[in-house]
Amino acid sequence: METLYQAALLSLTPWAIGAVGLGTLIGIIFGSIPGLTFTVALALALPITFGMDTVPAIGLLLGTYIGGMTGGSVSAILLGIPGTPSAAATVMDGYPLTKQGRASIALGTAVIVSTLGGIFSLIVMMISVNLVSKVAIEFGPAEIFALVLFGMSTICGLSGSSMIKGLIAGTLGLMIMTVGIDEIDGVNRMTFGVVNMLQGVNLLVAMIGLFAIPFVIEVFARHARGEGEKNETRSLRVELPSLRLLGRNSWLITRCSAIGTVIGAIPGTGGAIAAFLAYDHARRFSKTPERFGRGAIEGVVAPKTANNAVTGGTLIPLLSLGIPGDPATAIVLAGLKIHGVTPGPSLFMNSESVVYGIYIAVVIAYVFILLIQLGGIRLFVYVLRIPQQLLAVIILVLCVIGAYTIRNSVFDIYTMAVVGVGAWVLLRVGIPTTPVILGMVLGPTLENEFRTAMSLSEGHWNIFYTSPVAMAFVGLAALVVVLQSFSELKLRRKAKFAEKSNA
Amino acid sequence: MAGFLKRWIVGSLAVVWLALGGGQAAGAADFPTKPVEMTVLFGGTANTIAQVLSKLMTDKLGEPVVPVSRPGGGGAVGYAFVQGSRPDGYNIVWNSNSINTSYHTGKIPFDYSAFEPIAQVSKETPALAVPADKNWKTLGDMAKAVKAMKGTLKVGISGKGSFTHLTSAALFDAMGIGDKVRYISYGDGKAPIELLGGRIDAAIQWPGQFESYAAAGKLKVLAVTGKERVNLLPDVPTATEQGFDIDITMWRGLAAPKGTPANVIKTLQDAAKAATESPEFKSAAEKLGFTPAYLDAQAFGQEIAKDDTFYKKLLGSLSMTN
Repeated sequence: METLYQAALLSLTPWAIGAVGLGTLIGIIFGSIPGLTFTVALALALPITFGMDTVPAIGLLLGTYIGGMTGGSVSAILLGIPGTPSAAATVMDGYPLTKQGRASIALGTAVIVSTLGGIFSLIVMMISVNLVSKVAIEFGPAEIFALVLFGMSTICGLSGSSMIKGLIAGTLGLMIMTVGIDEIDGVNRMTFGVVNMLQGVNLLVAMIGLFAIPFVIEVFARHARGEGEKNETRSLRVELPSLRLLGRNSWLITRCSAIGTVIGAIPGTGGAIAAFLAYDHARRFSKTPERFGRGAIEGVVAPKTANNAVTGGTLIPLLSLGIPGDPATAIVLAGLKIHGVTPGPSLFMNSESVVYGIYIAVVIAYVFILLIQLGGIRLFVYVLRIPQQLLAVIILVLCVIGAYTIRNSVFDIYTMAVVGVGAWVLLRVGIPTTPVILGMVLGPTLENEFRTAMSLSEGHWNIFYTSPVAMAFVGLAALVVVLQSFSELKLRRKAKFAEKSNA
Repeated sequence: MAGFLKRWIVGSLAVVWLALGGGQAAGAADFPTKPVEMTVLFGGTANTIAQVLSKLMTDKLGEPVVPVSRPGGGGAVGYAFVQGSRPDGYNIVWNSNSINTSYHTGKIPFDYSAFEPIAQVSKETPALAVPADKNWKTLGDMAKAVKAMKGTLKVGISGKGSFTHLTSAALFDAMGIGDKVRYISYGDGKAPIELLGGRIDAAIQWPGQFESYAAAGKLKVLAVTGKERVNLLPDVPTATEQGFDIDITMWRGLAAPKGTPANVIKTLQDAAKAATESPEFKSAAEKLGFTPAYLDAQAFGQEIAKDDTFYKKLLGSLSMTN
């Protein structure tokens, strides 16, 4: 109790609260503008914190991280362009909601469930950090491989009308990520002797290309054809989700919070897999799965809750084991270290007040998120009133800037353009692009963990089937594939039946 | 109209002449007159040190030194960028041993001689950790136990050809157990929990990654691989102290493209010296777990050349040279 009081004294000063608020605002801005990414925002914010005291500095970084994780859904819902890879799952139902003129409800729901998910995971972290970190240690390469395989199985649910097309997209994503230096053996793959190809395809660069460029091309094409905009986006009402809507989904929110927290706690996984798993989970257990992909509010609730529940989850390996889950938390880790806070088991013994200070900063960040984002909905929605062809020009410029700043590489601008045009072609032939991003997020982990596991076992497969955890996840993945195949067959039979009765 | 055009052309040619000829002469004399771009090749600690250093060098130079991250290809992308830029001192690279390993593993088509050394800035010393439940107190205990055991010792590394791999290979060869070791590649940074989970038997990583675990008694750090002990782990003896003669550290420093004028190098070297010896840099070093280790341009150049021979031989013995 004494330490909690001390921590509160340190982290509730106006200076510290202001730092968290500033961070949150930066994160939301970078997260919500298509093309800009909050990983870049964190990298820019880190040197600013050098001259600050420990608690405000960490607050600024955590605020940016959490604000960015939440802000990524804004452009995902409004324009169908996710601001972070983990917001890609939100596009599936968030964007259709906007097309129906219900953007503000989707945005409001996203913010509120994000906060609920984040706070849920924070509480789990506070009471069970020791237990959870012990479990996380048990996740070796074989177990993480099986978990990621389970994540891959959600492609089935993202494929829309045809599973084959979804699998084609997922495989493309996996293939793109093999370009560059292979981390395990240190050899060059598919680089064609070009130095710039050694850097491979960056996930964020590809994400910008995959979602933003087809949007821009479509808008220009429509404008050139002289077609007007779709009317639905013009009829805007600013309304917030009702308590009843949230109450109806409270059980879903709880389940998805748990999914996000667990996934976040396992080192080397991260927000995207949690969001996709939660989305698939919500669809599979829904009484009306056919509404998903056409603007079901549950399709926003599930991925957003899980996505932000990851923020608390990743703090567990970050603080208790010193292991960052993704590039963004790696920057937070660097920030902690430069301020003399060394994450790891001894952190909880030596500097408990810092740990409590971090908890408090997370809570403050969520308060700011609620204030900024709910207050900002009116402003966000205003984006839809901008004529689309003008908006497309702005987005194109931001995408070029964004693709460049991730690694300060001109080559990445070309990469983004090539991926973008490719994505547009895919969409034209009816292949969805969301499984591509899933393949890209999970591909490197899937491959590396598999190869590490095989080298641990000297090439014996028993490393997989002697681990109950790994077997459980492989079983779940198989179950998803079988169930999906059955329902696909059923649908096809129904379609045939309908054809016959029509004739 | 024609007269106007003529005057305009003459005028702009004069401007171009000034910018090219006059500008360069003045540039070498009073350097710097615009921001200096410092290309950073890696994330993590390398990036954080670069950010601290560039801030301190800015104070000394009077013009901003801007750290620009160009990661990828194990440093190859950033090296290629700086190597291809104009040798005027406005493009410098935050380099490391990776210049030698990248060249000898065939990632880049040029070696360290494509750059002018400016100054060595810091050193990081790898450390060897084993799970706390192993009964090894020294490297000698470990060598004896491993020689007697059946099967192989599983050692975690960041990736084949990575610095942790090369250090491990050199250390275990010196201990005479090189042929009993099997390397398991992990991504960066996961070695501590793989040790805790009991999936590997030993790992060489940076002291900062082991510090907290060693303090909590969960891992045992047997040795560091440099000539001197490190501040973060003052009780851990060096390998040399234990009778195994190796000295491997990761140096970091600054370099500019070949052909950069000597007085420009000198200015940058002095700024790096002032930054490296400042109390702010020392305090950052303690927290991040590296050692400030200034060397002037000449000594730094000799160090790089010496290392180049060493890594060529080591990579050759691992049959990883190109």
